Amino acid sequence: MRPLKDAQLGAFTFFASALPHDVCGSNGLPLTPNSIKILGRFQILKTVTHPRLCQYVDISRGKHERLIVVAEHFESSLSDFQKQGIKASSEKVLQVAYELLEGLDFMNKHGMVHRALSAHNVLMDCKGNVKLAKFGLYHMTDHGADVDFPIGYPSYLAPEVIAQGSFHPSDSSHDEAPLPSGPKTDVWSLGVLLFELCAGRRLLQNIEISERLKFILTLGCMDDIVTVLAEEHGCLDAIKELPENVLELLRKCLTFLPSKRPTPAELLGDPIFNGVSCLYTPFKKPVSLFSSSLRCAHLELPEDISDLCKDDDEDYLSERAINEVYHLWCLAGGDLEKELTNKGIIQSKPPICTLANFVLEDGESFGQRRDRSFLLDDTTVTLSLCQLGNRLRDVAGEAYYPLLEDEQSSLPQSNSSNELSTTVKLPLIIRERDTEYQLIRIILFDRLLKAYPYKKNLVWKEARVDIPPLVRGLVWAALLGIEGDIQAKYESTDKDTPIPTDRQIEVDIPRCHQYDELLSSPQGHIKFRRVLKAWVVSHPDLVYWQGLDSLCAPFLYLNFNNEALAYACMSAFIPKYLYNFFLKDNSHVIQEYLTVFSQMIAFHDPELSNHLNEIGFIPDLYAIPWFLTMFTHVFPLHKIFHLWDTLLLGNSSFPFCIGVAILQQLRDRLLANGFNECILLFSDLPEIDIERCVRESINLFCWTPKSATYRQHAQPPKAAGDNGFGKAASYYTSDYQDMPKTDLSRDPLALCDLKAEVSPRISAEDLIDLCELSLSGPGKRTRAGKPKIVAVDIRNLEDFNRGHISGSINIPFSTAFGPNSELVQCPATGVLQSYRGRVIVIISHAITNAIMFAAHLVKVNFPRVCFLDGGINKLKPTGLLTVPSPMI
Amino acid sequence: MPSCATMKKNKGKASSTNEKEFVFEFRAGQHNCVLKVPLQFPVQEIINDLHGRLMLLHKIPCYIETDLKSSLSSFVEKETILDYDREAELALQRLTAGDVDINQLTNAWTRSYVETTLEHARPEEPSWDEDFADVYHELIHSPASDTLLNLEHNYFVSISELISERDMELKKLQERQASEMDKVMHELGNTLSDHDVNAVASQHFDAQQVLENKWASEQKQVTGIQKHEYQQWVISLHQDLQKSNSSQITEEIKVQPSQLLEVADPGARMFEEQPQLEESFTIHLGAQLKTMHNLRLVRADVLDFCKHRQHSSAGAKLRRLQTALSLYSSSLCGLVLLVDNRVNSYSGIKREFATVAKECTDFHFPFLEAQLDEVQQVLLYARAQRSSKQKEQPEIPRNGGDDKNKNVERNPSNILPGEFYISRHSNLSEVHAVFHLCVDDNVRSGNITARDPAIMGLRNILKVCCTHDVTTVTVPLLLVHDMSEEMTIPWCLKRAELVFKCVKGFMMEMASWDGGISRTVQFLVPKSISEEMFYQLSNMLPQIFRVSSTLTLTSKH
Repeated sequence: MRPLKDAQLGAFTFFASALPHDVCGSNGLPLTPNSIKILGRFQILKTVTHPRLCQYVDISRGKHERLIVVAEHFESSLSDFQKQGIKASSEKVLQVAYELLEGLDFMNKHGMVHRALSAHNVLMDCKGNVKLAKFGLYHMTDHGADVDFPIGYPSYLAPEVIAQGSFHPSDSSHDEAPLPSGPKTDVWSLGVLLFELCAGRRLLQNIEISERLKFILTLGCMDDIVTVLAEEHGCLDAIKELPENVLELLRKCLTFLPSKRPTPAELLGDPIFNGVSCLYTPFKKPVSLFSSSLRCAHLELPEDISDLCKDDDEDYLSERAINEVYHLWCLAGGDLEKELTNKGIIQSKPPICTLANFVLEDGESFGQRRDRSFLLDDTTVTLSLCQLGNRLRDVAGEAYYPLLEDEQSSLPQSNSSNELSTTVKLPLIIRERDTEYQLIRIILFDRLLKAYPYKKNLVWKEARVDIPPLVRGLVWAALLGIEGDIQAKYESTDKDTPIPTDRQIEVDIPRCHQYDELLSSPQGHIKFRRVLKAWVVSHPDLVYWQGLDSLCAPFLYLNFNNEALAYACMSAFIPKYLYNFFLKDNSHVIQEYLTVFSQMIAFHDPELSNHLNEIGFIPDLYAIPWFLTMFTHVFPLHKIFHLWDTLLLGNSSFPFCIGVAILQQLRDRLLANGFNECILLFSDLPEIDIERCVRESINLFCWTPKSATYRQHAQPPKAAGDNGFGKAASYYTSDYQDMPKTDLSRDPLALCDLKAEVSPRISAEDLIDLCELSLSGPGKRTRAGKPKIVAVDIRNLEDFNRGHISGSINIPFSTAFGPNSELVQCPATGVLQSYRGRVIVIISHAITNAIMFAAHLVKVNFPRVCFLDGGINKLKPTGLLTVPSPMI
Repeated sequence: MPSCATMKKNKGKASSTNEKEFVFEFRAGQHNCVLKVPLQFPVQEIINDLHGRLMLLHKIPCYIETDLKSSLSSFVEKETILDYDREAELALQRLTAGDVDINQLTNAWTRSYVETTLEHARPEEPSWDEDFADVYHELIHSPASDTLLNLEHNYFVSISELISERDMELKKLQERQASEMDKVMHELGNTLSDHDVNAVASQHFDAQQVLENKWASEQKQVTGIQKHEYQQWVISLHQDLQKSNSSQITEEIKVQPSQLLEVADPGARMFEEQPQLEESFTIHLGAQLKTMHNLRLVRADVLDFCKHRQHSSAGAKLRRLQTALSLYSSSLCGLVLLVDNRVNSYSGIKREFATVAKECTDFHFPFLEAQLDEVQQVLLYARAQRSSKQKEQPEIPRNGGDDKNKNVERNPSNILPGEFYISRHSNLSEVHAVFHLCVDDNVRSGNITARDPAIMGLRNILKVCCTHDVTTVTVPLLLVHDMSEEMTIPWCLKRAELVFKCVKGFMMEMASWDGGISRTVQFLVPKSISEEMFYQLSNMLPQIFRVSSTLTLTSKH
């Protein structure tokens, strides 16, 4: 979005019309409230950016179908001319006309019509350039069908608009809404507007509305409408004095028959403007982040670089994008309803005074007095930025332009940096509401994203701290490594031709995260359908499984105006975390996944695992929707965002840890209950503290040896060298599958064998890495954050003495457990007890012994038990086995 | 090689769509190719997608891509403008041809503007009620609130004294009459005949009526005076405060002690014999996003929520203050009262309610009788509206419509099961709005379903709660106010389950009406049910609603 510059933020409000009581949609579901329809349609307006149009910023729903729209705003408008009674010079008229037409033409190219053109909706910025306001009202209200009030102002209505009739909800004789108006209706309004400018007075003032409209309609019989209007308003002289090109312009605009009236585009190219058009350069849309063309292609640096840093007034905030400023305004305590109430625009009556007297069985109420506060007052109120300014007073100028080169200091140095470094330690919820912190973070990410993919590493690094909600959509795309011309790819995917999956998609969408305003709007449904179909069509080897809709929801929500990006993110996410989950026959993938999951439960929480196995509450019963939708089916969107902020940083085994963390949060209730209660509990998952869940799953993840979550059906290693800008592969982010495969890696295992094992296996590599054994000696730097480990050799003493890995303890299998599978008290088991809490790696000769030994340990609630894949034999070729010096 | 594809679209209104053919010619090597695509207007699709699909479908070489795109979009643009022009001129022609009446047309426009926009709306006539509401709301949220409450209470006390005086006199009269009657009965058969006894009885009745009427009119007069005085006083206090611009209130109004009342009848009006049982729950509704609500199961008399109590009793003044504070706020309290099909206050619970409502002067809203009169008027208007609408569209079938229509035709001033009227009160202890829901004897039977009018009425009540910010509503759980013999334990359990489940459904629906505002729903059970029954019901509630887990404060070991 454009920088705020000298603009203000303005807000206006209106009511969507109420739905008829008790009517169902054709699918049997309740009708969507009109305010939600408007909210959905509004979104696209945020992307309509043009220098002649007031940028739309946000829309919010209030109580009782109230909508509040926030947009760029300016205090002065064309009606100032009228108030002062000044006739505008003909140059000014031509300039205003040309700029207005530029705006209208741009809107028309986006399929929009203004319809509400009037003097007070044509704003002027400080340089006197035209800015069209409320240009989206006609579009967002579905041509006025979703609101009670007519769109447009009586004096400015084009004759055909009047003739097509007004649609009034209480009027039952009109069943159908009038037909939508075309771009030419705005040209008529423009004509009236320009006439007023030339005449220096308002047209058809002080006449009753119906007389006004009749007058406009009778103009059809006149030959020269401009003269008639001038005579009627006693300004014939003023009009006669106008230069010929202005008169010509007026005549062209005020052409009665639409077919003879030019469109804005035609007028713009008219020779009338020959003297004006050369002053304007056509508007070019800035290149988006993901496109085939170079973003810097048209960058021209001035000769003298210092021209760029001319400090005018040092108001750095106004250099930020409008939506950023608005976001910060909200964080700094801005309240739209309060602002509008203070200005008297929102006037509400106490509800007790407006109660109906009598309500019929079908819900129709009677005796409710007409509430004046529901009438339209579309005055725009300027939102004061004072409070925000005060809040950000202490932010130094440098903070607005952080240097990215220095990778050491992530936070810019300012006198408040101390404060910021303490903020980082606060809970995420608080950080997200901290104005100053968010400002710094947004600026930082904004710059990093502008340098994407070059600064990909830094994006990863900063995302580990947190992701500001305002830029989450793009940051996620960066984390998922989206690159290239996604728009072209998306457009070339056929999203319209019917496919067999359509029916299922149609059923699922109205049931997917519908509490959310965006996703429940008709626009949301259309976009949902298109993105899902695009995915299904472009992945012929995979199929649509229920749950894909939930998976799509967060991406669509974050990139509502960019379906292509939503599609690209989803397409990148699925192979990374849900490889082959959407195969037509996905049972082997899911079964393996769930088995590894239950091994993870046993690994991290043996007590819970024992209990759940005892009552037969296996992951198959509850965890499939968790993993198939990556938890999007079970959590509301705001929780998914926080969960995925971390998930996207981890590798494909991170979901296991989230699963275990959820179970642990419900641990007490699970342990106390039997099968039926557990099923009931999970049928509607209780509230989960998501921040705690994230924290604990990170902790669990750190304790899990990488190879423990090995799956043979995981995504095969990617071809080397595709990491263009090579993100530093850290221990946590790289997948086990991505590592080069060696002899010491884990071997695939048949599913039935895997299922028989309570504890996970780990690879010899992992053991070597974690025990810090290596041939090059112990000089390797110790990495912090690695799990503490103890190796337990369960071969008999003889074998042990012949060679073992250093640091391992020997507990011969035959001696460790008593008849009731309790741990026998002996010095060796005592040592084992003292290592309780560490990762215990069991090393054996025969793998069955290791499996049984591990199972026994889990039975007696030993956490973090795993065993070496392939047993001691795997280690023999490495030469790492040592023989203790004989005791003397 | 001409290629042609049909893409039928069923979108849009059939009447206003038409098909046009897009023709595009291009050269591929030696061949001249023609692409013909029939398109439905108005075009619903995004042009870029359409273009992408055409490229894919007809395997169009990529060097044509930009040409095709620009020619396609200019074709669509041009044709759309033509369509607009055609429709617009059709409308203008209809007008000149006289198919549409110009006066009707412009009047419809005028009405639209006048009824929906502030700019063109008729100026508002000043409303005394709303001005008073503003003044009161301001005062009650100022230090003057205590004074206001004390004043209200003093008025209440004087009404109470009046009532107890009335009761005393009535009691005396009844005693005198009883002794007279005794005498008469004694003489029955001797000097006096049955006829004489009847005469005396009717004479007694008349005397009682006269006395009651006298007191009623007296009470009405007093309350009228009180209301007038009170409103004047509030307005002048407000003016004084504005003038002096200080929050100091010079004249304090002390609570007028009233020994009379406390001695007069401590049991009958003020206390309940059985202790009120109450249990509260916090629930979460919704699949992914959960909204929190409070539920309460209460065993009490329905009028306990209305009865005014002495300030001396614990918490009564606080409760009164709470109700007064929220009167003009957006968190109102409502109560569902089950009534029969007549809009009056002559019998049963309606009469009892009216008595309670009169115990204290309503300083804000019209008296109950006046409100009921208004409801009657509105009811007749609604019936007239309905019947005229039904005549217009007779084909719409309505479930059980015949039966209902007959009832309505018989007596249009009666209301039907499932319908309700609303009265507003400022003088009840914990309630601002009362929903008088009409039920018939059907609710006493054991087999009502979720489609029962009474249940639908509950749904509509909850809907009104949403639209008018009633955040606390009290619902009779068993849909009866008094227990009778046929209401066995299984009957109670079945009924409670039905109402719980339906209310749960409605509350989930409410989330889409109001965006999930936290509410309190109180389920009321009659006083006469046993304690065991109460606990059985309170066990049932958490099984039906999802009760949120208790917060564990113990740290992890």
